[in-house]
Amino acid sequence: MKVSNPLQRHMQVSVQQGQVVSRRDFLRHASVAGMTASTLNITDVLSASTESLRTRGMACILLWMQGGPSQFETFAPKPEHENGGETRAIGTNVSGIQIAENMPRCAQVMQDLAVLRSLTSREGNHQRATYLLHHGYLPLGGVKFPTLGAHVADQIGNAACQLPSYVRVGGRLANAGGGGFLGVDYDPLVLQSAQKPPANTKLTTSAQRTARRLQLLNSLQDDFAASAGAQIVADQRKLVQQAMTMIRSPHMEAFDLQHEPQSMRDAYGEGEFAAGCLLARRLVEQGVTFVEVSLRGWDTHQDNFSRTRQLAAQTDQPLAQLITDLKQRGMLDRTLVIWMGEFGRTPRINPRGGRDHYPKAFSGVLAGGGIQGGQVIGRTNSAGAEVVDRPIGVNDLFTTIYHTLGIDARHENTSRIGRPVKLVDGGEVVQELFS
Amino acid sequence: MYCLLECPQIAVACFATFLLTIPVAQAKPSSARVARQVDNVLAVALFDESTSLAPRCDDATYIRRVWLDTVGDIPPPETVLEFVIDPSAKKRKRDVRKLLQNPHYGKNWARYWRDVIFYRRIEDRALLASPAMVADLTQRFNNNVGWDKIATEFMTATGDVRNNGGTAILMAQAAMTEQTTAEVARIFLGLQIGCAQCHDHPYDRWKREQFHELAAFFPRVGVRPVRTDTKRSFEIYANNSPKNRRAKAKGRPQREHFMPDLENPKAPGTRMQPKFFLTGASLPLGTSDAERRQQLARWFTENRWFATAMVNRMWSELVGEGFYESVEDIGPERQAKAPTAIRLLSNQFRASGYDLKWLIETICQTNAYQRESRPRRDPKDIPFTANVPQRLRADQLFTALVSVLEIDEKNLPPRRRKPSQAGLVDTRKSARPAFNRLFGYDPSVAREDVAISIPQTLALMNGLQVNRVIRGTGKNTMLGRLLADVAGEEALIEELYLRCLSREPTSSERSLAFAYRNEIVRDTNYARRMAYEDLLWALINSTEFQYRK
Repeated sequence: MKVSNPLQRHMQVSVQQGQVVSRRDFLRHASVAGMTASTLNITDVLSASTESLRTRGMACILLWMQGGPSQFETFAPKPEHENGGETRAIGTNVSGIQIAENMPRCAQVMQDLAVLRSLTSREGNHQRATYLLHHGYLPLGGVKFPTLGAHVADQIGNAACQLPSYVRVGGRLANAGGGGFLGVDYDPLVLQSAQKPPANTKLTTSAQRTARRLQLLNSLQDDFAASAGAQIVADQRKLVQQAMTMIRSPHMEAFDLQHEPQSMRDAYGEGEFAAGCLLARRLVEQGVTFVEVSLRGWDTHQDNFSRTRQLAAQTDQPLAQLITDLKQRGMLDRTLVIWMGEFGRTPRINPRGGRDHYPKAFSGVLAGGGIQGGQVIGRTNSAGAEVVDRPIGVNDLFTTIYHTLGIDARHENTSRIGRPVKLVDGGEVVQELFS
Repeated sequence: MYCLLECPQIAVACFATFLLTIPVAQAKPSSARVARQVDNVLAVALFDESTSLAPRCDDATYIRRVWLDTVGDIPPPETVLEFVIDPSAKKRKRDVRKLLQNPHYGKNWARYWRDVIFYRRIEDRALLASPAMVADLTQRFNNNVGWDKIATEFMTATGDVRNNGGTAILMAQAAMTEQTTAEVARIFLGLQIGCAQCHDHPYDRWKREQFHELAAFFPRVGVRPVRTDTKRSFEIYANNSPKNRRAKAKGRPQREHFMPDLENPKAPGTRMQPKFFLTGASLPLGTSDAERRQQLARWFTENRWFATAMVNRMWSELVGEGFYESVEDIGPERQAKAPTAIRLLSNQFRASGYDLKWLIETICQTNAYQRESRPRRDPKDIPFTANVPQRLRADQLFTALVSVLEIDEKNLPPRRRKPSQAGLVDTRKSARPAFNRLFGYDPSVAREDVAISIPQTLALMNGLQVNRVIRGTGKNTMLGRLLADVAGEEALIEELYLRCLSREPTSSERSLAFAYRNEIVRDTNYARRMAYEDLLWALINSTEFQYRK
């Protein structure tokens, strides 16, 4: 049964799984007085039995290549054409598919990757394109669109998970968005670094005293909540609740990569992005629904070839290992991995040895979540300038992502001003991914 | 509407008549009179008998609000009491004036503009320019240098970024031509012409060519590293005869600006003549860097959007929402609420000689500012019927914590800070930068889009530092001293409310706190001290503390 109201849906999930109530619904339901104290009990109940609940349902990991990755130097080389530059192509473990020499490890997991070589958009400005490829919409005054991760968390978030259902690794990413009109509880938990677990998560006073304090804080705010601070207090109460649930959870360990054996950390490779990929796997394993990890620096207007070599080296091994690791743990089928940036790079190489912004024809990769790997979808002409087969627009891509995750892309939410907003406007599922 | 004339002098003259300006030499307009006029215009434009206007806020709310809005701090308890019992009818106006003379006024707003500029930095190394910018701007604001002169300094600066705060915008944009162009238009004119860089603006009148004509004022300026034996820095410099005549390397001067050919990026593109898109005034190719930027600053600061952008921004900060929805996206295509009101205030701001203290004083005297706060209105409701709770900026929140808890900003053992110096010197030892990184936000973003976060919540609720400084043991903390000095329970509760929220507790809050104290003392082995630690903890974690009502 499809239940559209998130509250009802969470309730349903909870009831199905033998739970009294989820933390979010609890907040929506609880009377203000005494809320905090009784929630503590709920939390205890949940932590006792979540073991059996975790790792159900679909999850999504977005590997965001900030700045616009060059398709020619990653997944769509053009060694036969002058636009391809010095980058050579290499074979993969799927016969007939070649990718750029910079991605040797990914070549070895090609059977699980679906490369989309015909992504196309019209937005060549970083800010607007970053917004578009995160929201499926361009910014529109007056509508606070939720970002992809927020929608996914809202639609299929695991109500029994004690960690936030949406985590973003890496700080400053403008225009990537948040909960929008869904509210602060769908904002991502932002970690500045994958290698630093969230701070201030050890209780500084006894659990009993903390509970008393929270209760006092809660009742002290009644006046402000009833007047100018209505929304503000409500938002804070939600976050306090989320924060407290999180830090009491035994799953907090998921944030600490030190719990991984050295061999596993080595397998993902060195660097912040590799650590982010490993963290993403750990979080999904504990029931987090959407994790976003960024790799910065793809805006290669100059020295494209040496810079993309370095960047590809930072993404190749972690991406390949993430796929391998998820598969070995039996998680790949229910974890969709997306590798993309806001646009691609120009086919022509500019006088500074760089490539400029090119939204007209670019590439991305999907893996897991039940999609059929080992295939390339879409084709550009020999110069890499035009899509000649199977163009995939941003709304097609978003429709496909939601479809893969079992989410109805036509689902309508109501924005703050009462306007119905679909998850995606238009677009078709890329059916080849499921054949 | 605009004077499409080549000659700048004529363009300016044309413009002046359009603006109905009063010559700057005359006496400044009366802030009280202008505030009244603005209120009247708002009433005519927006309200009728059925409009539910929020009542005038009480004195305690007002004094806390105006402290945060001017000096970026919360008032000490004795100030609140003095103000509330003062019978003078003119005390509100008088106190704004007094606060604008306090050196923390300049510091508060300099930090605001630091955030405006550096949240849009291209690279983190730009932050090297931040201390000098805050120091210089603090001084300018305190000396009440006109906004036009300050803007001109930003647009025309050269020199070491550690010495000349005017270089901040150029440094934040790595002196890259297009980025700098988009930023000065955004910051000083409130116009989003940056989108026209690659294509004709989809929702605006600006054409791609106009953007690149504006960019043609900035090709000859660049940024380069400077090293001495003792320090590393960068300097903004001009070069009027650079060797590279074409493609501009990142941050390096170029003789003229070229608009790239989108179809053929290898081509040199079109050489652009410096031309100001709002008036059509232009300079010949070959003009020196100094002259280009000086002239552009003159054209900017004479323009109606220059005054309008600042008025809209300050009104938005003080009243809680702007006449134009976004402070960085105003302009002829945008619809203002009560356009006559912002036109009036902008014209008078210009007539005041772009006097920022005058502007703040005027806005603070309006009824619109002095109304009680209500939750942010629904877009379909009437604007300006109430003030809006504003989340404290990171610096304000940090300063408020430091004040309430009487801690030394430099994270030394807690002691009473000297009012003359406290907060005026950013030192490396201060916890402020780390606090700003966690709690800071870009002040140009719509305030309703700035959400609190779990890490922020945890830092204040569960941070070791916070829990250390709220302790009531010994005499090293504010609470410790208070517990030793104040015997009565009622008096202690009142004092804590007054300190944290600048008001007395309501009777229900009073009994709640009293009951809590008794419960702790009775039911547990907690000492009385611990009950008050908990109360202080709850007060600084309350949203009322973290917002300005």
